Amino acid sequence: MEKANDKALLPAGLHDGLPPEARHEARAINTLIACFAANGYERIKPPLVEFEESLLSGPGAALSGQTFRLMDPVSQRMMGVRADMTPQVARIVSTRLAHEPRPLRLCYAGQVLRVSGTQLRPERQFAQAGVELVGSDALNADLEVVLLAVESLNALGVCGLSIDLTLPALVPAICRQYGFDEEMTAAARNALDAKDAAALAAVAGAADTPLMDLLPAAGAARRGIARLRALPLGAEAAAMIAALSDLVDGILDVYPDQQLTIDPGEYHGFEYQSGIAFTLFARGVRGELGRGGRYVTGAGKPEPACGFTLYMDTILRALPHDNGGISLYVPHGVPPRRCLELRHKGWRTLAGLEPEEDPKAAARALGCQYVFLNNRIISTR
Amino acid sequence: MSTSPDELVIALPKGRILKEALPLIRRAGIEPEAAFMDPEARQLRFATNHEHISLIRVRAFDVATFVAFGAAQIGIAGSDVLMEFDYSELYAPVDLKIGACHIAVAEPVALSENDDPRQWSHVRVATKYPNITRRHFAARGVQAECIKLNGAIELAPVLGLCRRIVDLVSTGATMRANGLREIERIADVSSRLAVNRAALKTRPEEIGGWIDRFREIADAPSS
Repeated sequence: MEKANDKALLPAGLHDGLPPEARHEARAINTLIACFAANGYERIKPPLVEFEESLLSGPGAALSGQTFRLMDPVSQRMMGVRADMTPQVARIVSTRLAHEPRPLRLCYAGQVLRVSGTQLRPERQFAQAGVELVGSDALNADLEVVLLAVESLNALGVCGLSIDLTLPALVPAICRQYGFDEEMTAAARNALDAKDAAALAAVAGAADTPLMDLLPAAGAARRGIARLRALPLGAEAAAMIAALSDLVDGILDVYPDQQLTIDPGEYHGFEYQSGIAFTLFARGVRGELGRGGRYVTGAGKPEPACGFTLYMDTILRALPHDNGGISLYVPHGVPPRRCLELRHKGWRTLAGLEPEEDPKAAARALGCQYVFLNNRIISTR
Repeated sequence: MSTSPDELVIALPKGRILKEALPLIRRAGIEPEAAFMDPEARQLRFATNHEHISLIRVRAFDVATFVAFGAAQIGIAGSDVLMEFDYSELYAPVDLKIGACHIAVAEPVALSENDDPRQWSHVRVATKYPNITRRHFAARGVQAECIKLNGAIELAPVLGLCRRIVDLVSTGATMRANGLREIERIADVSSRLAVNRAALKTRPEEIGGWIDRFREIADAPSS
């Protein structure tokens, strides 16, 4: 015999969004999309499921292990449920919107599904929202995207936002400068990524290179950049640091108090980034709010692009909770057109469906702060 | 989050490492309250001479978990523990050069005399470190079936639970006393300063300052 609670059990990492969380998430996504739109980003809506081949080509390949598959009975081809929306945007940009004038500004929001959660993010389904700016390799494009991330998170009311800027291509450039082979480069990269000075020192040849100086350069942006500038770097690496420095100046010009850090060794998850990349954090919130940066999109005809994606589950943890607003109970017998008038005046109304003995008590039971009695709005307290 | 943003929680491992870690904590200018030194104390969280800094005393494996989840911002943990969990949200910026030992594969002396590890395709191993063990053997093309124990690993071969173990070795005395011989060294181990990634990014000056201080202490000639 089936017990009632058996139906309540959901697969691991999936949950029912209840009030007020579901409201918070919807409201937060609306705020973000409005902010993206105000900056000229047009919304696109890719499908939830598409053919595996297109979903997992290029940058999507890294998500292969995280993608749920199902067989399409119609085409007899394998389909994947999206684990990330960015590969879908890249596909749209290089196909259906290939002829649109550049730069192309697009934004999106939607749910993604992953095969397994991580220890820090056990959720297997969560919402993503983000932007892509395609077709410009100017530093101004990088700047626009970072500023938009700050603007939209500020609009949500995220407290203690911190941006960590990284240069995923810097370590490989320094390794090339010093003639490291692939294996040594990978070892140096992993050690720097884990901030493990002991492991880095153990990489043969690393001890006499500027790689050792990258660890102490991580931290507050301006101090870190000053340290990086003092290093004996080749032209390629020096140009990256000059661009990073200009980006930092550009951000601080708009948001002088924005906390910025740099981390020249950070690498994980940025395998596809080609220029400056960034991660968004909030004080007291575990995990990343989102990440972004510059990459190359398009399989046949490569195009420069930059953008960011925000993880709504983490962002909701960084937001102060609202109280849900104020509601007005309209007792049984008041005609619906009266409710409509009240809503036009800005009230949120809850109508009494059956005669009630004590309208005030009925209002309180439904969490209404006010009740409409004798054509007057009075407090339920 | 249980900790308010400006609090700083430092997680320290119970037992062996604690004795060596405390002088470093003190040299960094952090003086725990008296109850911290009392092994009988029921208290789990201890105040220090800094109003916003508190210490927690937890099992070595839990240090990594507390720090990875941001429940503690800083911790001291052996590199064995960090390797076992391989948390992406955890940085290990300073080798504190304490708690030196290594992780090794061991088996009974009698077995080791005519055993050729190169021919294994499958091993059954008792260990505290199932992930390290599986990764180590997988890299050599050997499937490792791990029996997770939480202590007294050396008993496993003695009592016939399984023949091989992967465990920490410092002097090798426990191994010898139980008739075991080390046959393979997996990794050297020392204690690291572990730091939560988000805490370092959002409080760069403060957390970075502690990293610098511990780095200076670790690099100073040992007293």
